Amino acid sequence: MTGTSRSRYGHVLRSLTGSTTALIGAGISLLVLVAILPGAALMPYGPNEADFFNLLSPPSLAHPFGTDSFGRDVLTRVLYGARVSLVVSGAGVLQAALLGTAAGMTAAYKGGYADMLLMRTADLLFAFPAFVLALFLMVVLGFGTVNVVLAIALIYFPIFARLARNMTMLVREEPYVQAARLMAQSTPRILGREILPNIAAPLIVQATIGVAFGIIIEAGLSFLGVGVQPPTPSLGVIMADGREYFQRGPWVLTLTGLAISIALLGLNLFGDGLRDLMDPRLRQRVEQ
Amino acid sequence: MSRTALYIAGRLAGAAATILVGALLVFVVMKAAPGDPALSVLGENARPEAVAAFRHKYHLDEPLVGQFLYWLGGLLRGDFGRSLTIAGGIPISELVAARLPITAFVGLYAIAIAVAVSLTMGTIAALYRGRAADTVATSVAVLGISMPDFWLSYVLVFAFALGWRLFPAYGFTSPVDSVSAALYSGFLPAVAIAAPMAAVFARMLRTSLLEAAAKEYVVVARSFGFTPRFVFRNYIFRNALIPYVTVIGLQVRYLLGGVVVIERIFGIQGLGSLAVDAAFARDYPTVQACTVIFLGVVLTVNVVVDLACAALDPRRSL
Repeated sequence: MTGTSRSRYGHVLRSLTGSTTALIGAGISLLVLVAILPGAALMPYGPNEADFFNLLSPPSLAHPFGTDSFGRDVLTRVLYGARVSLVVSGAGVLQAALLGTAAGMTAAYKGGYADMLLMRTADLLFAFPAFVLALFLMVVLGFGTVNVVLAIALIYFPIFARLARNMTMLVREEPYVQAARLMAQSTPRILGREILPNIAAPLIVQATIGVAFGIIIEAGLSFLGVGVQPPTPSLGVIMADGREYFQRGPWVLTLTGLAISIALLGLNLFGDGLRDLMDPRLRQRVEQ
Repeated sequence: MSRTALYIAGRLAGAAATILVGALLVFVVMKAAPGDPALSVLGENARPEAVAAFRHKYHLDEPLVGQFLYWLGGLLRGDFGRSLTIAGGIPISELVAARLPITAFVGLYAIAIAVAVSLTMGTIAALYRGRAADTVATSVAVLGISMPDFWLSYVLVFAFALGWRLFPAYGFTSPVDSVSAALYSGFLPAVAIAAPMAAVFARMLRTSLLEAAAKEYVVVARSFGFTPRFVFRNYIFRNALIPYVTVIGLQVRYLLGGVVVIERIFGIQGLGSLAVDAAFARDYPTVQACTVIFLGVVLTVNVVVDLACAALDPRRSL
């Protein structure tokens, strides 16, 4: 059934050009990516390059986001910090997506005790306030970048597991799955080749939105001092720094947060647009 | 027993089991973590006898299973035990009694703001779908979920406390002392917590209003010649409220997470800051108590939401 799914994504790609929301979102996301990937290296300053003659200078042409208490260029730090935050959030969401999807699909396909156990675990994790769970985890595992990745993965695991399970339930009895079963194909092959391509769309959308919220979680944990540790610049670390001298140099915290908001706006618009395009019910109404 | 009562009893039993497993999980994980409450209270160079006495006093020298059962026994009698480190020896129920009203007040305040804003924004967006008002409301809503709430707190403080001096930048008066002072000093934190929630609520309301408006029963009601206002109120809005109420319930989880950070920024002595301080100081029983309360709130809200949805929607059976 890969043929059908391929044409479905083809449809999505074609209609992507027709959705203003998705286009604007993709545009902002692309701009942000260009700014943080090649752009950061083009900045005339280094992320940890101190300039003691320019301590806490307000935004200017030379320093669009101003400088911090060490005279470091805040824009350069934000661009490098965004790389760190993006990698941390992306790695966490990717882990959760891989493990959660595998667990959810297996549970739905096999049913029985495995299904019940997984869903009860997901329910339990779901009952914890996400940020509280992350905080407890950081206290227990210790502060640091790797553990932030684990915390984000733990928050998103139940979400992906549930989504994958419910989607698998929907397609489990489809004729093409039954056909594959009649041909005595192995369970991993059926899950990977027949079911996964047909349930991938909502998982991809969830991952896009997940990366956006993962960045907020990273920023929040590092802001409280339990996440990524200085001198590594992550968005949360830069903001925590800015909080220290918020009254004397409000631009550090304010402009960094503004940059995060714009980047996440792009990701969220892109995710929203994708979801609308992939939801057949909504698509129908738009085309009516 | 009526069916509803049976249903509620079943759900509450399930919630109690979840809380128990959750508390056990947190207990095991906290015990496995490095750090010793005795050393954090008595200092790294404490005499071994003092450490042993401290451990004995708080039953830390017993086997883990015994410790958990001891704690569980207390919980069943409504006793959370005593704080180990952050408020040495004070019964945790006293700490909770002082802090729970504060967090509950700020949380409900934020929900009230979010509901008021989202009802207006979501309804306007749906009524003027595809027009400028819809675009503005929808864009503001996406912006609302894109801003980190702790950053928004500082921007609010910068503008409304340091700039215009309309509200205090720091500190909070407990609603137990003065409700009007609590409403005033809690305004900025409540807005910071409410902003992302209002965005989520408004998006949900817009979608569900549009979905309800496309249903056959709305067409039928219109063909009967009912006024648009009557159709909107009794057919469209009421049906759209069901997913809206569900989303409010789901957001309580995020609310409790956000409260933890916002309380620290504004210096609010609530349950969120208690949980964070306790976790840092290895105050196991206080962390346990906060876990039980957080899980209890989330699970109770889930049950209440399902009951509210059943009340709104007679077709749905419990």
